[in-house]
Amino acid sequence: MRVAVVGMGKMGLLHSSILNAIPDVEVVALCDKSFLLRRFLGKVFKGVKVFKDVNELSKADVDAVYVTTPIPSHYGVAKALYSEGIASNVFVEKTLALNFEQARELRDLAQDYGGVNMVGYVRRFAVTFREAKRLLDEGVIGEPVSFSAYAYSSEFYGVDKAAKVRVPRVGVVRDLGCYAIDLALWFFGELEVLDAEVKAVVSDRSEDSARVEVEASGGLRGEFSFSWCVDKHRMPEAGFVVEGSEGALSVNDDKLELRLKDGSVSRWFRHDLKDTVDFWLGLPEFFREDKHFVDCVVRGCSAEPSFADGAEVDRIIDEIRCRAGRYG
Amino acid sequence: MVREEKVLLVGDNPFHGISHLSQERSRVRGDAPTNPEFAAKLIGISVENGADGFMFSVSEKTLSILRVLREGGVVNGLRLYAIVPYAYGYVRLAGEVGGVPGLAKRVIKEISLSGNFSAMAMGLKGLLKADLEDLVKTYLAYEVSRVRSSAGKNANLESVMLHQLVTDMCLGLGLDWFFRLYVDFMAKSGLRPGFNTGNFCLLVRRLREWGVDLGEVVVAAPFNRVGFQMVPSREDCEKALADLPGPNVFAISVLAAGYLKPVEAVEYVAGLPNIRGVAVGVSKERHARETFRLFREKLV
Repeated sequence: MRVAVVGMGKMGLLHSSILNAIPDVEVVALCDKSFLLRRFLGKVFKGVKVFKDVNELSKADVDAVYVTTPIPSHYGVAKALYSEGIASNVFVEKTLALNFEQARELRDLAQDYGGVNMVGYVRRFAVTFREAKRLLDEGVIGEPVSFSAYAYSSEFYGVDKAAKVRVPRVGVVRDLGCYAIDLALWFFGELEVLDAEVKAVVSDRSEDSARVEVEASGGLRGEFSFSWCVDKHRMPEAGFVVEGSEGALSVNDDKLELRLKDGSVSRWFRHDLKDTVDFWLGLPEFFREDKHFVDCVVRGCSAEPSFADGAEVDRIIDEIRCRAGRYG
Repeated sequence: MVREEKVLLVGDNPFHGISHLSQERSRVRGDAPTNPEFAAKLIGISVENGADGFMFSVSEKTLSILRVLREGGVVNGLRLYAIVPYAYGYVRLAGEVGGVPGLAKRVIKEISLSGNFSAMAMGLKGLLKADLEDLVKTYLAYEVSRVRSSAGKNANLESVMLHQLVTDMCLGLGLDWFFRLYVDFMAKSGLRPGFNTGNFCLLVRRLREWGVDLGEVVVAAPFNRVGFQMVPSREDCEKALADLPGPNVFAISVLAAGYLKPVEAVEYVAGLPNIRGVAVGVSKERHARETFRLFREKLV
């Protein structure tokens, strides 16, 4: 399988390396706007074609394309891949687009052109969240009654308005909170935003923390808390506490805990859940994610999370920002 | 059969506030181990109880610890194993300065300000000719000079190892030229080349394929009773270890990031072949005393 990667930042490098480690997959083309990067990429990746513009990828004869550029450019790049006939098997890093309008168009394009489409909500491939999903689906805690979820990082902790730091302009909800929103949609189905508040901390116009209230089907109430200004979250972390009629489940990137009303408590760390893969880079879930996409392309079946799933996350994010008075 | 004493190293994860078991665990542990004075004290206690040295990622934090150890007269008695680059620091910096190009500019600026003239000359040549090999060598020379300027010229820097993220990324990308370049550069610098990896089996296989002498390098990789972070499996890692030509592996994550008690962990490591040594992180004075006393007693 011949793959091209568009956008050679840290996620582009990570996916390129993992893809190359999967048998019968070869990264054959790279694309990046930066002249400096292109100059060195050609020397690092001998035999790989390096392009400036995504339209040039038509010369590379690829089976699939990974889009790992900054979020604002996802729409333009993915649209070009379809309209120029470069590839119909497309992986886009989260979030699918900058807003629901763009995401919906990409979802519809993917449906029209066929092929495999997938969005990089990698936490669906983490063993703790997978096991949580299985336990919830089996009704181990009974009927879910409420949940609270968070996505935190220390990326901008201690950074004040005087510091010259570039905060992602897409804001904390789209950049970090999207993981928890995707997981909530995966766990519970459709969500409706009831209330939302978004705050600026790092600069006057940035969106650095958020609090959201939602309702899922069956009257399940949920709360989200997002921030990239939280101390002692060296790595970004997402987590859930789900209260059910028969017990409670708490899960994050590292650990899963189950407390049932009969008093029993079970706890699993990653390695208790067989968190092993054929190739480890970053976290094991990155390998599982890429392997899932590749397997779906090879078998010709649909991948999850799809563009339709990703578009739903973008819809919720738009609704949050709208409720919080942050929509331009 | 010759029985060698294992090299026991203090690992630096607690000093960076890291627990690979869970972030919650590092939060519970508190800030004390991240204080350079306290970290240096823990290293001193570890040495008194059997540790031989310190394995650390080269960061501002660990360089501060080295300076404290130097001022206390402890550093020259230590066998130092440096890991470069401090990937987390650079990833965070990339986020702050606008991605990989911004990061490259920042590193070039730091090298320029470091006063390492030979590195600067090589780097300038590399930039002008877009010569990647010169730039890699410049960067490595810069990192080595940072360690030496903090630990002192007489410090016993035995090895400079490539950080796990870089080793494994280059491994996935199949950059054989990079591995050869790194090994050659370190050997010419009088340092043993090393690789920190999460893909021990694949690394060993590729180094063999690429003609890198496994006897000339050291490898740091997870080995523990519960198979924590052992890829693709504990059994495969044990088999690859047994097939090595000699004891050139440092077992890391031996306590499975604190999931195992030292007494549970040490028996497993003691039974492994081709282990050159062990790196273990400690976050309390009692941990330092008990862990290294036990490992020194059991690991012969």
